[in-house]
Amino acid sequence: MKIKTIVVSCIIFLLFAFVSADGFLFTTPKNWPKPIYNFKKNQLTDSKILLGRVLFYDPILSRNNTISCANCHSQYTAFTHVDHALSHGIDDRIGTRNSLALMNLAWHRSFMWDGAINHLDMQALAPISHHDEMDENIKHVTEKLQTSKIYPLLFYNAFNDSLITGENTLKAISQFMLILVSANSKYDKVKRMEVSFTKQEENGYRLFKQNCASCHTEPLFTNMEFENNGIPIDSLLNDIGRKRITQNNQDYLKFKVPTLRNIEFSNPYMHDGRYKRIYEVINHYTNIQKSKTLSLKLQKPIILTSNEKVDLTAFLLTLTDKEFLFNPKFGFPKEVLLK
Amino acid sequence: MKTMNKLIYFILLFILNWNGINAQVNVCFNPIFNGNKLELNKQYFIPNSTDSIQIETLKFYISNIEFFNNEQLIFKEKNSFHLLDAADSTTFNLPVNFISKTWFNIIKFNIGIDSTTNYGGALGGDLDPTKGMYWTWQNGYINFKIEGKSNLSFAKSNDFVFHLGGYQNAFSTLQTIQLPVQNSQVISINMAIDKWIYEIDLNKQNHIMSPSKEAVILANKLSTIFSVSK
Repeated sequence: MKIKTIVVSCIIFLLFAFVSADGFLFTTPKNWPKPIYNFKKNQLTDSKILLGRVLFYDPILSRNNTISCANCHSQYTAFTHVDHALSHGIDDRIGTRNSLALMNLAWHRSFMWDGAINHLDMQALAPISHHDEMDENIKHVTEKLQTSKIYPLLFYNAFNDSLITGENTLKAISQFMLILVSANSKYDKVKRMEVSFTKQEENGYRLFKQNCASCHTEPLFTNMEFENNGIPIDSLLNDIGRKRITQNNQDYLKFKVPTLRNIEFSNPYMHDGRYKRIYEVINHYTNIQKSKTLSLKLQKPIILTSNEKVDLTAFLLTLTDKEFLFNPKFGFPKEVLLK
Repeated sequence: MKTMNKLIYFILLFILNWNGINAQVNVCFNPIFNGNKLELNKQYFIPNSTDSIQIETLKFYISNIEFFNNEQLIFKEKNSFHLLDAADSTTFNLPVNFISKTWFNIIKFNIGIDSTTNYGGALGGDLDPTKGMYWTWQNGYINFKIEGKSNLSFAKSNDFVFHLGGYQNAFSTLQTIQLPVQNSQVISINMAIDKWIYEIDLNKQNHIMSPSKEAVILANKLSTIFSVSK
């Protein structure tokens, strides 16, 4: 009788585990908000995630099969472009913005520095089609995938259909991006009371909460809003930010607040990658020039001594999540692409 | 066994009482140019002038088809998203499986894709982004696309290109059309493409390719070109 009860409760538990929004393949870290992404419309499976990962690392998405997503979003640099202020695409063309670090995307309601993209599924269309990035179009991508040796089977395994559509291609890429969750930094471990901050980090955390957290809100370290952080416009790039999308003067020079997680590895910084080092970023915030659309949160000057700047940096380095940066599950799928 | 009998009894009762309609209604769209059915790539002369115009592409979405009996909604097509492409005339005939207790006298539909669907992520069928009706640098469906040539346009190769889209507040280009129809299983709807394009001063305006005030103005004018052919 007892065994029977245990078996039945195990089955019930498993059933509930399957119907829960997150499922086994995605878990919301403790004390994090609910994800924005609707997993019910694109339920995660191992075979779809694998397909998405292969697509992410395959240059087949670009016009001449030379550039993959990973070119500008490499894992070891928090899925951004190391040493490139502006993203560098097909035929050595240079874009106008610094590629964003990819992590915790299930919690975002808009994408890109200006929020041009309203849904994670549609995100990949932008770099695929952009003249300076992959210079391809999704219709031609699906035709190339259909005639490839590996993809019809991968799509069949994932979607039970070897006919390759734009919808399934984009949903698979989303699945891979969704599992890129970074929640295991020293900061997270401190929050879970597994380790503790040093005195210096602790002081840095205090300064962070005083001066930075209103935009770089925990636990995602972004409030997902668009703000003008006071960096003057680069007259060569002439990037007006969010105004390009809303055509509203109040959005002039506003850009999406980026996450600070893995900041140690995601340099250079700002939408045009103008700062190479964390101290340059901090120095910017202690010397803000006023402008019309400057964030309300930056109206009061931020004053930090040089020791405090060092402490703040020490705290920012606790946001590094090595398990995320070196997790082989997120890496190049050599078992498929090098076959 | 008793419950089984009861079930059969109720099913029979339902069938006997069902005097409703279950029919295929064909909703056909006819793009018209200078009095006749539009032909792609044909040179049309603008009336009372020596200027000419030719249409090379005409693609648009018809969505959310609804049938009314006076004020009352009596049937709504499910997953009602249709891409009509003048290059494939079969796409201009939309068969709808109409099920209702009463017949209709008004049809309502949208030109374009509603805001909720624009926020819906990757979608399939006629909404698949491979259909060439989705903007990539900024999200959103192109609701209505028309391209061609006219000597009036000063653009390269005398081209004109109008991609009307936009789903957010002030830049929404979605149009809702409501037309009275007669009891019929074939609803034939004319679209006076000539009337619409003749109102554009191609000398001054030869392209729209993003959400804008201009796109909204041209989209609003689309709502006047539909009529039921008798």
